[in-house]
Amino acid sequence: MEQMRKRETGIVRSNRETARGHYVIEVELPGLFGVVNPGQFVMFRPGAGETPLLSRPFSVCSQTETGETTKIELLYRVVGAGTARMASLRQGDTVNVLGPLGRGFDMDEGRRVILVAGGVGVAPLISYADRRRAQEEGGRVRIIAYVGAADEESIAGVDRLEQYCDEVKIATDDGSRGFRGTVTELFRTDVEHHEKTASAVRACGPRAMLSALADVLDGHDIVCQVSMEERMACGIGACLGCAVRVRLNDGSVGYRRVCKDGPVFDMEDIDWHED
Amino acid sequence: MKTDGAKRPNMAVSIGRLMLKNPVITASGTFGYGEEFAPYLNLDRLGGMVLKGISENPRPGNPPPRIVETPSGLLNAIGLENVGIDAFVTEKAPFLETLDTTVIANIFGESADEYARVADKLTGVKCVDALEVNISCPNVNRGGMDFGADPEQAAEVTRAVKEATDLPVIVKLTPNVTDITAVARRVEAAGADALSLINTLRGMSVDVYTARPRLANVTGGLSGPAIRPVAVLMVWETVQAVSIPVIGMGGIMNARDALEFLIAGARAVEIGTANFVNPAAVLDIIGGIERHLGDAGVDDINDIIGTLDCRRK
Repeated sequence: MEQMRKRETGIVRSNRETARGHYVIEVELPGLFGVVNPGQFVMFRPGAGETPLLSRPFSVCSQTETGETTKIELLYRVVGAGTARMASLRQGDTVNVLGPLGRGFDMDEGRRVILVAGGVGVAPLISYADRRRAQEEGGRVRIIAYVGAADEESIAGVDRLEQYCDEVKIATDDGSRGFRGTVTELFRTDVEHHEKTASAVRACGPRAMLSALADVLDGHDIVCQVSMEERMACGIGACLGCAVRVRLNDGSVGYRRVCKDGPVFDMEDIDWHED
Repeated sequence: MKTDGAKRPNMAVSIGRLMLKNPVITASGTFGYGEEFAPYLNLDRLGGMVLKGISENPRPGNPPPRIVETPSGLLNAIGLENVGIDAFVTEKAPFLETLDTTVIANIFGESADEYARVADKLTGVKCVDALEVNISCPNVNRGGMDFGADPEQAAEVTRAVKEATDLPVIVKLTPNVTDITAVARRVEAAGADALSLINTLRGMSVDVYTARPRLANVTGGLSGPAIRPVAVLMVWETVQAVSIPVIGMGGIMNARDALEFLIAGARAVEIGTANFVNPAAVLDIIGGIERHLGDAGVDDINDIIGTLDCRRK
């Protein structure tokens, strides 16, 4: 019989602001927690208090196993009451963590990979790049990352990406660092080149960014997987709250659960023209 | 393990002819068809499980966003997404047959006839022990709350379902009415074996930065601790108005919350939103009720039910 899983109690080891409004929280969990595949997520809430009521989903940015315990890092941006409460957590505080959950990225898509990240969408791509680099066998993997942010102060996680990537290209809305414009506009300038050389694209970010990326890739022969975001209540496929509209095989559209059928989907499966 | 030799209290309750091993049931729409929760708890420990609402044909549900958290609550407009009765029977029922707990199918229709057809089809399905009739969903265009808010139509659906099945029929009531006891009495007179209440309260939330509703469906149904006092009141009023058993629900997060409903007269409780916060929440609630009985020196859960004392001191 499959081993029973449970919501674990973790301890906050650190919680610091690394870019304006962006935090990295490090949580220590029991060693039985399990190995997180890049792109998988956890449901997270503070251990004390009844606010927020529900857990929040976060992609896991990194995992370090130390025998008896495992440590995970989550990168998050403060956007509402739940993440504001999260930012107030201190070293030693207890938290509830359910996971790892969902479907992560396919990991065997060739030797030249492009990452496209918007804002905190960089989190699962850090995990992806780390794992690809750690599992290099029979030849080096070339990883090129494109990262978008509002401005220089709010670029999160780039130092981590640079550890694993051959090249990291940055776009900011106001041009305060790197390319002035969106990350998908920056990627568009290189797409013809990548089509000839790259084997796959992995992307995560706001829906508008992913939708723009779908437009850029339209007509180009590069496979792409995207990690989708939606509000969730349970994280395990029961509440049907995190619906995302997809194209079905018969040409019609239907809904899939971001938590269980995703959060990683093949780009061509998502119905990007949703209102 | 430490044992003090004390006898464990009796936790079994009856809802008419439906016997439950304990009074804690998972609520419809919050527990899927059970399978999603199997990795997190032994489902045989449950008093019962109410399945996600089943309609005659598959329903795609509402566009996203479908949920948003509000103070001490969860506002949802899922829209009764479900696989439909035929796929339920072939894809979901076989797993449920392996379980040793009471399985209650929640049924939904857009007409009294559709309710009756779904009830009829489920009556032959081995794993289904009872039906809960959803006349109270606030998030669908036709059916649902339209029936539950009108005593006459609520009675009509109840009669149609009773004629179509010999399974125990529990009718789930909406709180979105002026007087829930008026609906409760008519449903009882139409032959319902039990009542369950409350479904979600209608609600709405606005994003002030975009001036848009925070649910694509604009309105939703509110669950969670925010609605608990409303639910306790309605259960208490309904218990006094009818003689059939009442199952109470609304924002139960722990054993103390569950006991509120039992003391107010509910014969069992349903747990909903709490399952989202912790998939094993029902086990904590069952254990907590047992401990409460032990601490109070009560050896049978039935001796707690309906003991509310409203006399002035």
